[in-house]
Amino acid sequence: MKTLIFKRLVQLVGVIWGVGTLTFVLMRSLPGDMAYRIAASRYGQDNVDSQAAALVREELQLDQGALSAYKDWLLDLLQFRLGDSLVSGEPVIETVQHMLGHSLLLSFAGLALSIAIAVPIGLLSASKGKMVDSALMGFSSLIRAMPVFVIGVLLLLLFALHWNWFPVAGFGTPAHLVLPALTLGLSLAAVSNRVVRDSAKRVFGSSFYLFSRVKGLSKWTTFKRHGIRNIAVPVVAFLGIQLVSMIEGIVMIESLFSWPGIGHGLAHAIFARDIPVIQGAALVMGILFVFLNTLVDLLCHWIDPRGVAES
Amino acid sequence: MVNFMITLLHITRRLGLLSLLGFLVTYSSWSFSLPNPSNTLSISAAFEFTSLDPSKNGYIYTRMQVVESLFNVDGKGSITQGLANNWQVSSDGKVWTINLREDVLFHDGSVMDSATVLKSLSIAQQKHGALKKSPVEAIKAIDTHTIEITLSRAYNLLPAVLAHYSSAILSSESYDDNGEVLTLSGTGPYQVYTYLPPHKLVVEKFDGYWGKQGSIPYVSYLTGHRAESRVLQARSGQADIVFGLDPASLPSLKRLPNLTVYSNAIPRTIVLKLNSGHPFLKDVKARQALSLAINRAGISNAILRTPGSETDQLMPPSMGDWYLSDVEKTTYQLVKAKEILASLGWEMNRNGVLEKDGEPFEMTLITYADRPELTTVATAIQAQWAELGVSLKVDVTNSSAIPMGHKNGTLEMALIARNYGFIANPLGVVLADFGENGGGDWGAMNWYSQDISADLKRLEQINDTAQYHQLTQKNARVIFDEKPMIPVSYYIQQTAVNKRVKGFYFDPYERSFYLNNMEFIKQ
Amino acid sequence: MSLDRSSRGGGIMKMTLSQKIGLVILLILLVFAFGGTWVSPYSLSQQDLNAILQPPSTRHWLGTDQFGRSMLTRMSEAVMLSFSLGLICVITSAIIGVTLGVWAAWGETVDSIMGVLVNILLALPGLVIVLMLAAIAPGSFLVLYLAISLVQWVEYFRVVRAITKNVIHSPARQSTKMMGFGVWYQFKRHIWPSIAPSIFTLAAFGGANAILTMASLGFVYVGIQPPLAELGLMTVELFPYYSEAPWVLAQPLLAIALMVFGFHLLAGKRT
Repeated sequence: MKTLIFKRLVQLVGVIWGVGTLTFVLMRSLPGDMAYRIAASRYGQDNVDSQAAALVREELQLDQGALSAYKDWLLDLLQFRLGDSLVSGEPVIETVQHMLGHSLLLSFAGLALSIAIAVPIGLLSASKGKMVDSALMGFSSLIRAMPVFVIGVLLLLLFALHWNWFPVAGFGTPAHLVLPALTLGLSLAAVSNRVVRDSAKRVFGSSFYLFSRVKGLSKWTTFKRHGIRNIAVPVVAFLGIQLVSMIEGIVMIESLFSWPGIGHGLAHAIFARDIPVIQGAALVMGILFVFLNTLVDLLCHWIDPRGVAES
Repeated sequence: MVNFMITLLHITRRLGLLSLLGFLVTYSSWSFSLPNPSNTLSISAAFEFTSLDPSKNGYIYTRMQVVESLFNVDGKGSITQGLANNWQVSSDGKVWTINLREDVLFHDGSVMDSATVLKSLSIAQQKHGALKKSPVEAIKAIDTHTIEITLSRAYNLLPAVLAHYSSAILSSESYDDNGEVLTLSGTGPYQVYTYLPPHKLVVEKFDGYWGKQGSIPYVSYLTGHRAESRVLQARSGQADIVFGLDPASLPSLKRLPNLTVYSNAIPRTIVLKLNSGHPFLKDVKARQALSLAINRAGISNAILRTPGSETDQLMPPSMGDWYLSDVEKTTYQLVKAKEILASLGWEMNRNGVLEKDGEPFEMTLITYADRPELTTVATAIQAQWAELGVSLKVDVTNSSAIPMGHKNGTLEMALIARNYGFIANPLGVVLADFGENGGGDWGAMNWYSQDISADLKRLEQINDTAQYHQLTQKNARVIFDEKPMIPVSYYIQQTAVNKRVKGFYFDPYERSFYLNNMEFIKQ
Repeated sequence: MSLDRSSRGGGIMKMTLSQKIGLVILLILLVFAFGGTWVSPYSLSQQDLNAILQPPSTRHWLGTDQFGRSMLTRMSEAVMLSFSLGLICVITSAIIGVTLGVWAAWGETVDSIMGVLVNILLALPGLVIVLMLAAIAPGSFLVLYLAISLVQWVEYFRVVRAITKNVIHSPARQSTKMMGFGVWYQFKRHIWPSIAPSIFTLAAFGGANAILTMASLGFVYVGIQPPLAELGLMTVELFPYYSEAPWVLAQPLLAIALMVFGFHLLAGKRT
């Protein structure tokens, strides 16, 4: 347990340094002049010219060498200062917080929906006959074969345009959350329902489960006592694996639905070359990822204390 | 009474939002309600905002009518009164005396006077914008509501520059000691209610407005980056007004009963910026041949879906001084274009590409993704010139690549959407684009004419309309003949307006949404 | 990973039915990609602004797009592009991942260095790295390919390392070693047979992922320049015409789904 947390802490420090340095190097090697790109984002396409770029260059001291900029950044990072956005001048930490809140909301809603979809379907295909099983598995394979944005586009066409039940894009009300979260939930559920099914099949077919039924416990009691926990372990562990595809899905979904989260912000900051925001966003994503992975580890440990030696 | 209210407002500002709400509930005559779809006009457009500073994102705040400037511009491009009542110019054109309106309140309750105007203008002078580039020597206050601007030379563009969003007037309290904008307290009929950059801005009706009061309590502005989702917002009724519709979506939108689609010509032109110093493009004939090989009518019909928008001139007929009414429209003449290039020594090689002295006619055209039309028009030109034997590599990048490529000389061609109404007087943009040193960041490149440069400088000082017209026509003709830039099409701004909104007017100068003229139709 | 349910080794004969179906789908798409370019008289960029968004006809078998370009040509080129990118990404990342994975399982120092690197890479979502790299050189396929490979090798590395560690400690390998056989023989005799099925599965998923990543990049407008045909970008460009010309929009969507579906079926079961 302690070693687990220690290991994760070491990973965290490595991630912070590594992600920061990687983004720094990548962004420094982007083509074109940084001052011009920042000027374009600041002043808009109609008003960007070489004068604006010169102003930006002077204000932000973009002429300083890469090494000294890197040193400054590292020193700031040690004091948890992420700097100000080059474009808006707002503190990065505030920008990232604002984005992170939206992304977390979206990801938790998506995750909750995916569980709500995947668990019943997985259990259904594990417990009913072969026909139901293959039908459900075939359907989830189809969904899995579609990129996230295609699922999003189809949902948009259906729910927002055809029936006009939910708004198309934007944020602010619960109704705005439905379609993005459903897109994320569906794409996650299409994979995790298989894990639920396999796990449930394993448990339902195991000798301890059969024994419990033979000794006279009802179907429901057996499931409650011997089913849930045993099925849950691989499913929860799989959630950890799914985090990556979740975060990738968020980038696409946020772009499609104009959801002001971290993925959307990151894609935008890359376009505008707002290095502090890129670093801040990438860092937060990295930290979040390590944190959630630790959470998954701990959850697995809590459900099944035996497994800890292996991880 | 007014003073009392102002003090109260000041105090409430300090005490924060909660007490302000309390104040409004208790003292205002209208019943207070939070923004909801029935009392909020929602606007969706492509451009995001990252700052409160008018020099950066002022176009959002003038359009949302949060801030105003000393002068306004009407639909024809004439200067009208704004926060200035009237103005006088000295006979040498160097001293401008401007009288301010006396009944103007800022959103924070303070009163507009010479001192506040002076502060806003002098801060604007320090920042990137039109005022910084104009020959202003001094601005001073004559009395509480009169200011005087002294110029180093006669400059008839001044009112147009002062009408620009970067010269908007903010209350003194809006700035910190360094001139950075902390809160946006303007004089417009709407004040900032929620500011969530870069996506959402909600404004609220300002009861202390000096002019026509709005009837819609709240207006929200939502940035929709993707043209597709903006179209969907219009379709579903989620947004009341959607600007910048993708032309592809027009036929289906026009069929919808709940929408009206407005197509308005604006003084923005899709134009090819050429590097006239490039060995292939140095000869005027080569540039003319390229212009002839563009199927403009095809582009405006099939791609932009606005038949009739094709053009070979930089400025639209509405800008009469600069528009040549007596030239014949350039039509698509591929054969003639081929002949011209052949006469310049270009020969078709085995790959179907023109070649001269062993060099193929290959060029790179850069354009940017901010405006979806540009990429599609670039793709069309790429295919049309391929038939001519010109091989074009299209590079879709960031808009900043154009001034940068101009500056460092690497640019070969660019497809841009140039806004000739950026300063209400087109001379401002023409000066920047053709004025000096062989062109400008968004204008001609390595193409220089001593005459034009001198003429444009003279235009700054001419007030006689006939003389002015004659000189602009002369220069427009030279630019048309020499083709340092090749116009392709006018910009038709496509806007979808929900039927529940009455009083929509599209401002071709894109300065204001005229929110205070709009109302909801009772259903 | 289950090792006993070998999906490779005996070739096509040993495949399950769904794997065979997957293979057939992919082969059909491949034939379409080659055949389409061969049959169609039109080029990728040839426009006809007088014949935009035409329904399928004898002249244009799959209709035309918003520029009046032949959809048959563009679809087959796009499918070909996705296949080639998927293939080279899979090969590159598999080679890197397997080499480093085996190496790390064998040597302690390499293992700890790689451990740190992999942990960092894993903490950055792959798409973010690809986005940043694609932004560095827009329009360059080399960069796209490097970026996708850079992200994908990690998975091979992790799986190969884990399995190899087990094998190295197995009595069979140790006795082989004691008998004096070389490293290459040990790899061929013991390690490769145990990792091969997993690599095959990973490769099939990897092919699907590469195709999805590329479509995603096209969708967020990064890395692809006109007139190139790319499935994701085609989806975005054709989306506005969904009510006017749904058959055109359906084509890239169907192609992506079929390709990914085919690869998933081919991969067999992932445990």
